[in-house]
Amino acid sequence: MNSRSGSATSAAGRALSRAVLRQGGARCAALCAVSTTATAAGLLLPALLGHTLDLLLVHAPAGRWLGCCAGVVLLLALLDGCAGVLTGTADAHATAWLRRRLTGHVLALGPRATARFGAGDLVARLVGNAAQAGTAPGALAALLAAVAGPVGGVVALGLIDPWLAAVFLAGAPVLALLLRAFARDTSACVAEYQRVQGRIAGALAEAVGGVRTIRAAGAEARETARILAPLPELSRAGQRMWRVQGRAAARAVTVAPLLNLGVLAVAGLLLARHRLSVGEMLAASRYAVLATGVGALVGQLASLARARAATGRLAEVCAEPAPGHGTRRLPPGNGRLELRAVTARRGGRTVLDRVDLTVPGGTTLAVVGRSGAGKSLLAEVAGRLADPDTGEVLLDGVPLPDLAHGELRGAVAYAFERPALLGTTVEDTVAFGLTAATPAAVRSAARRAHADDFVRRLPDGYATRIADAPRSGGECQRLGLARAFAHGGRLLVLDDALSSLDTVTEHHITRTLLAPDPDRTRLLIAHRASTAARADRVAWLDAGRVKAVGTHRELWQEAEYRAVFGDGEEEIRDEPGTGGRG
Amino acid sequence: MRDGIPMRGPVHGHPQRVRSRAYRFLRARWPVLVRLGAWSVLEAGQTFVVGYALARALDAGFLAGNARAGLLWLGAAGLAVGAGAYGTGRVYGVVAALVEPARDRLVTAVVARGVREADPGALSGLTQQVEIARDTLAGVVMVSRSFLFTSAGALIGLFSLAPLLLAVVLPPLLAGVALFAATLGPLARRQEAFLAADEALAQSLGEICPGLRDVTAAGAEERVAGTVGERTAAELRAARALAHWSLARVAALTVGGELPGVLLLLTAPWLLDHGVTPGALVGALAYVTQSLLPALDNLVHGLGTSGSRLTVVLRRLTVRDPEGRGTVSISGSAGGLDRPRTTRGRPASAPPPSSCALSVTSLTFAYGPASAPVLHDLDLTLPTGAHLAVVGPSGIGKSTLTALIAGLLTPAHGTIRACAAVLIPQEAYVHTGTLSENLSLHRSDPVPEQELLAAADAVGLTPLLRRLGGPDTPVEPAELSAGERQLVALTRAYLSPAPLALLDEATCHLDPAAEARAERAFAARPGGTLVVVAHRMSSARRADRILVMDGVRAACGTHAELLRISPLYRDLAGRWTDPAQLPSRSPLTPSPPRAISESRRSGSAPRSCG
Repeated sequence: MNSRSGSATSAAGRALSRAVLRQGGARCAALCAVSTTATAAGLLLPALLGHTLDLLLVHAPAGRWLGCCAGVVLLLALLDGCAGVLTGTADAHATAWLRRRLTGHVLALGPRATARFGAGDLVARLVGNAAQAGTAPGALAALLAAVAGPVGGVVALGLIDPWLAAVFLAGAPVLALLLRAFARDTSACVAEYQRVQGRIAGALAEAVGGVRTIRAAGAEARETARILAPLPELSRAGQRMWRVQGRAAARAVTVAPLLNLGVLAVAGLLLARHRLSVGEMLAASRYAVLATGVGALVGQLASLARARAATGRLAEVCAEPAPGHGTRRLPPGNGRLELRAVTARRGGRTVLDRVDLTVPGGTTLAVVGRSGAGKSLLAEVAGRLADPDTGEVLLDGVPLPDLAHGELRGAVAYAFERPALLGTTVEDTVAFGLTAATPAAVRSAARRAHADDFVRRLPDGYATRIADAPRSGGECQRLGLARAFAHGGRLLVLDDALSSLDTVTEHHITRTLLAPDPDRTRLLIAHRASTAARADRVAWLDAGRVKAVGTHRELWQEAEYRAVFGDGEEEIRDEPGTGGRG
Repeated sequence: MRDGIPMRGPVHGHPQRVRSRAYRFLRARWPVLVRLGAWSVLEAGQTFVVGYALARALDAGFLAGNARAGLLWLGAAGLAVGAGAYGTGRVYGVVAALVEPARDRLVTAVVARGVREADPGALSGLTQQVEIARDTLAGVVMVSRSFLFTSAGALIGLFSLAPLLLAVVLPPLLAGVALFAATLGPLARRQEAFLAADEALAQSLGEICPGLRDVTAAGAEERVAGTVGERTAAELRAARALAHWSLARVAALTVGGELPGVLLLLTAPWLLDHGVTPGALVGALAYVTQSLLPALDNLVHGLGTSGSRLTVVLRRLTVRDPEGRGTVSISGSAGGLDRPRTTRGRPASAPPPSSCALSVTSLTFAYGPASAPVLHDLDLTLPTGAHLAVVGPSGIGKSTLTALIAGLLTPAHGTIRACAAVLIPQEAYVHTGTLSENLSLHRSDPVPEQELLAAADAVGLTPLLRRLGGPDTPVEPAELSAGERQLVALTRAYLSPAPLALLDEATCHLDPAAEARAERAFAARPGGTLVVVAHRMSSARRADRILVMDGVRAACGTHAELLRISPLYRDLAGRWTDPAQLPSRSPLTPSPPRAISESRRSGSAPRSCG
């Protein structure tokens, strides 16, 4: 899905990574300093302990050294505490900073972001990727420690006796090879597990969709049993996963102790030849443990790589240019809309091809055409939900990009075929906009959209939570219409916003909606001939071009125009519920 | 918008219930626990041997000038490492015997609830939360078990090296564990608060991203940024609070893990004077730094996060939302506020007299105490064999009426007396499985093939049946069109023993001819009574009586009567029959009305009727 060049994206990713570290500069620097100091103190401690032990074993005065040991242990605790708090807070701040920045940009992009990335992917980026990218400061500091610890451990072994370092370095690759072997057969049983799980989830999804049938049949228990039939298989796949993991873990837990024993054996031989003290042997054993921490390095590198990859995905979103807004205001007017040589492409296809169209202020224009003719994109371009590739769109003589944001959105109201109803309560949903509409405006708009009746039948009326009010397609559309009505403006764009209404309701709404109103221009995408018939004029769109503009009655003479509406009986129903819950 | 999204967080705590369930679950599985203990002993043995062998290797070997003995002791430790690793591997298998049944139970509970309550959230519960529960449960078991056995091995080792060592090591270790235990509760609460804040943020973003077009169109970017900003800030606060509690872990680790080592050195002169050998001292230091400290570290980090995540997820999966918050069924969508009052299956009222399939008297229904009624004082009587069409604008309560008759909702006032009813909603339910399985949902036994084929023929499913290759071929619902799914649902209902069929826009995806055929099949069912929520006028015209719903009023009668008395019905019917009003309709005028008696109960009626 990434059409951009990889290098540009990764450059943007690097820039964003740097920005993440910069925004929390002091915290990140402190974190690195603390964890480096902690690693250094951790490397010092075994030597101190060893030397103190040697002094104690020969009954020499060791008070000062004991004090040092206690002091370093205390210092380590303090540093670890600081590092823990700093890691947590630095990561949290970085995540929050990324989320704020991304949310702002995504909101500025608007539907362009959804078109480019898809809604689900955007959520994944804002939630999951931002959290992963936010771990970068902590991962970087941990990586420093993960490198310094093992390197310091091996160096310290060498300083005690080169043989110790030699035996460690010789043994490590052998054991690492042993470790590699187990990464193999886990993926097969994980895939099997997920496959069975997917079957159960699929059957459950079907049953949730058919709940009215199941409940009316009283067949809940039977259906549950049927969905759960693959459960034993899931259980077997799960058991297999654990067994494979167990074999892997068994090998993993042998590596560090065996290396340690190898170092101890060499140290013991050196001790027997009096080339090493008991304390040094103790220190060597702890250094060997520190040196085996190199295994953690792989994990740290992986998590830093994950954080960077996540940052890269966020940078892709940030790299998408957001449309700017001008500062001009609208002159007095009634919403005269002009499209001048508008061309718009989507995915390499020219959807609108040099469209010239003028909607005189205060009139209604219906746009009709077969599906794929470019009607929806025309509606988007008309109110600047999308920008044309070439050509311009003017509202009362002002090009849309020159308008200030508030001026543009205050002047244009939209209603959609499948509106996303945002907000907490039904009231909040209808009031949703540049400025919240008053309760009186909300009710009046709902009445005009014929939504008032069904809203008042909801458990808490207008105060019903929108998530608790599943709606049919027609009810959704009426709430979306009410939202558009509540905010008014001089241009109203209806993108197939009446398609799910029954004919009676549609008739009532269009009667008020399309009644002569000298102050307001209305652009509506229509599929039904009856809707087109009520508009002042109809623009007939075909393959991205305006084929004809005229009244419905005039155009109806052409068989090709009539064919646009297909045939078939008009229905008195709602579309099936969208199931959309807020 | 602050309290807009349910903060399903720590507020609905029922830790006791989760805990007692966990206890019962474990008690029933004591043999597994015994096996777990047995394999863990191998790991404990490794801990014991490694420290003890080091002490002996020094005392009897390297320090005594006998390098061979030293190497042999270390070799023994190496063997113990191997045995311990074997034990670790086997422990995973035993943990599986504990975790997988728990997962099975959670899956069962989630699926049962999903089917019962039509909760789409059950899906994420199934694929995500159950998996989190599975992983964290395994983590908790592994970590706490490992700590118990490792510390047992180390403490026994210390005791066998010199009992005095225990006196030095044990008090700080116990203090560290106690400190950790004391902070576990507050830590878990911070963790829960963080998870809840994270979830609230994700939910908020999950609502906004699909609605970006609407946000832009409404110019509400600032408002939405404010909402998301609040959630982001709340999550940041929770994360910071959680981060500060990491100090508690460090403190517990320092006291329980680091302090014993320092104390061993401090008391070394005294210990050496009391017969503790240098080897034993080194062995003790090895126990403390290489066994106890890592085990405590794992416990503190593993239990601190996995434990609270597990509690949160388990609570979420096993405890029902205590507010009883659900969803309202308005038109066709699956519902919930009715849930507490839902009676299973049929309404509790008595069956109607035998000549009468349905009798409704002064029926009143509203979705909430404060809301306007959907149905008000509705009376309706249908004799056996009748065919009723219900018409009215969308959202007027037609689906509510069928749900009431089917017993899915309970009326506030009035009575419904109905014989056994089968409801076919507009969203046809077809599940993955064979056609024959799909068709026998309403039957206790598989449907005999002859009967099945006859029903398929009557309703119009035969072409699909042939195309799929017979009733025993598996069907994938996604591969069927919406209309084909409706045909399956209709045939299934046709095979139901219930005499009263309620078609709630159940034919909305069929073409008029297919719809007519299916409706006639139902009308002709022997002893069958039919109620159709009509979505085309032609469908209404096939019925011998029509119920027009208009807000809380309703009128019932024949087509001719209603044209006379109901302005709404005139309006509905007029949308097609008045070509003068809409010139565009003229080529599409429906065929003239057929006499009702003609269209009813004539299985061989012409296919074109709309």
